[in-house]
Amino acid sequence: MQEKRTSYGRTVLAYVVLIILAFLCLFFFYILIINATRNHSQIQQGFSFIPGGSFFVNFHNVINDANIPVLSGIKNSLIVSACAAALATYFSALTAYGLYAYEFKLKRPAFIFIMLILVMPTQVSALGFIRLITQMGMMNTLWPLFLPSIAAPAVFYFMYSYMQSSLPLELVEAARIDGSSEFRTFNRIVLPIMKPAIAVQAIFTFVTTWNNFFIPALVITDNSKKTLPILIAALRSADFMKFDMGKVYMVVLISILPIIIIYILLSRYIIAGVTLGGVKE
Amino acid sequence: MAGITFKNVVKTYDNGVTVIPDLNLEIKDKEFVVLVGPSGCGKSTTLRMIAGLEGISEGDLYIGDTLMNAVPPKSRDIAMVFQNYALYPHMTVYKNMAFALTLKKEPKEEIDRKVREAAEILGLTEYLDRKPKALSGGQRQRVALGRAMVRNPSVFLLDEPLSNLDAKLRTEMRSQISKLHKQLGTTFVYVTHDQTEAMTMGDRICVMKDGIIQQFDTPQTLYHKPCNLFVAGFIGSPQMNFIDAVVEKTDTGYAVVFGDTKVPCGREELAPYVGKEVVLGIRPEHLLGEDKDLGGTNTLTAEVDLDEMMGSETFLYFNYAGAKMIAKVPSSIVAPTGSMVTLAVDPTRIHIFDKESGEVVLN
Repeated sequence: MQEKRTSYGRTVLAYVVLIILAFLCLFFFYILIINATRNHSQIQQGFSFIPGGSFFVNFHNVINDANIPVLSGIKNSLIVSACAAALATYFSALTAYGLYAYEFKLKRPAFIFIMLILVMPTQVSALGFIRLITQMGMMNTLWPLFLPSIAAPAVFYFMYSYMQSSLPLELVEAARIDGSSEFRTFNRIVLPIMKPAIAVQAIFTFVTTWNNFFIPALVITDNSKKTLPILIAALRSADFMKFDMGKVYMVVLISILPIIIIYILLSRYIIAGVTLGGVKE
Repeated sequence: MAGITFKNVVKTYDNGVTVIPDLNLEIKDKEFVVLVGPSGCGKSTTLRMIAGLEGISEGDLYIGDTLMNAVPPKSRDIAMVFQNYALYPHMTVYKNMAFALTLKKEPKEEIDRKVREAAEILGLTEYLDRKPKALSGGQRQRVALGRAMVRNPSVFLLDEPLSNLDAKLRTEMRSQISKLHKQLGTTFVYVTHDQTEAMTMGDRICVMKDGIIQQFDTPQTLYHKPCNLFVAGFIGSPQMNFIDAVVEKTDTGYAVVFGDTKVPCGREELAPYVGKEVVLGIRPEHLLGEDKDLGGTNTLTAEVDLDEMMGSETFLYFNYAGAKMIAKVPSSIVAPTGSMVTLAVDPTRIHIFDKESGEVVLN
């Protein structure tokens, strides 16, 4: 009886803690959604739990604001994030495969070099990066926003550990004997096996790129080429007379929607991703 | 169809370790050769060199009449079955088997015919649409065999293909592979550390140790006439008994003496060893326990440490003359643990080895 009561108590405690955590996580989303339905003056009056009636007004204002091209922002963000996710996962898997499946003299130094890049913050190399793309004529284009994803050390490391646990070299050898060329072996045998790892890293890269503000803010000047985070920043720094909090909340809501949809669709992979790579299947 | 020839082949790894010091081996066309030896003896490396998965440091390797040293695996016309099956996990059984043919760009109907034919022979027809994950170990191994079969290669390489299967399945697959060899009429090279597999399947067996071929001969010869202590100990189950003994000259010829036992032997090969120590080898099945065999000087009496009833025969474990010995006697002979048993050494079946070199003196 005593035991039953303790386990009951524990469950209650666990639920209370989880509810608090869930509240802390979701409350901001709630504020965001509520505020997106209220107009500027309502928002300035303070917080309310009850939705306002300005949802469509805000939406209309955002869509029709020529200075804030939200639709093209969504398009740009989608292009950049999707390309970055595709490039980062494919080329990281390729690099990881190269280091995993082949024996060559500089294998170890190459691995260490990649790991060193991993600890280098983007800000350190930003100046050099801007000079480089200026000279390459890529300033104010979308290219520099996703091309560097080809070299993604963190994704590489994830792929490498996943291969160690899930890709027996015998498979590669079997493919070689079957007459498959090295590239075909990678594309037709290795990549399909890497699918779970690729899915996880694609999601993470997509989200990171989607939220990236630093590099796009440095590179893009054209309104039509701006990604969503820059547009949000532009809205917030708009002049005092035109400042409309309802619009800001609406743009933020629009910008997080695709991420939320992706999260809901692929949550299975994201959860799997946490344990992926470490355990030999 | 092709034979395989190794000419003075050396394999040294990048870290300087030489696993194959000097290999000369000739495998005939359509032969079933088993490479056998303890782990680390170089048998798998030898097989992988044939496949082209390992480079050759020195020497020449021929498949048929073609020098293969620099030929990539896919151009060697070989197929290989791996220990862990190495099936492509994301493809169905059908696609696994068809993969090599698809790469060769063979016509679809031809691929279909070959795959279905192989599946039929291996009893896999109903599993063609399944993925490897949904198959049992034995079925997976058959898919691996099928994948090799459809290519109709001139050489079939098998790297410990049965070691992941349970005992019953292993016996079944053993006969299936032997049958397959007869059906296909192709050269088979089979690597195993299990001497039973080697003995039952091979036309010829190559016993290896430390990268050196100890003996390359038929199973019968290996069993009856092992060339040294290593081969004698490796082939046969339970293992051959080895006892330190002394050769004596007698009126009728020679005798090999150990403990209170004197095994007469008239063979002149023993002449140089009179008064010297040798190693006597006697297989457990050649220690006889029936009344008619007993009574001579070639008997020994010992206390049974353990008796293992195997059905038709019994294994008796005992110590004699400082050696641990096993006898394999008919189960009609009852000798429970702790009892005394008298056994006779069959004088016609003894093997004598040089104590220093381990080489055989007489078989």
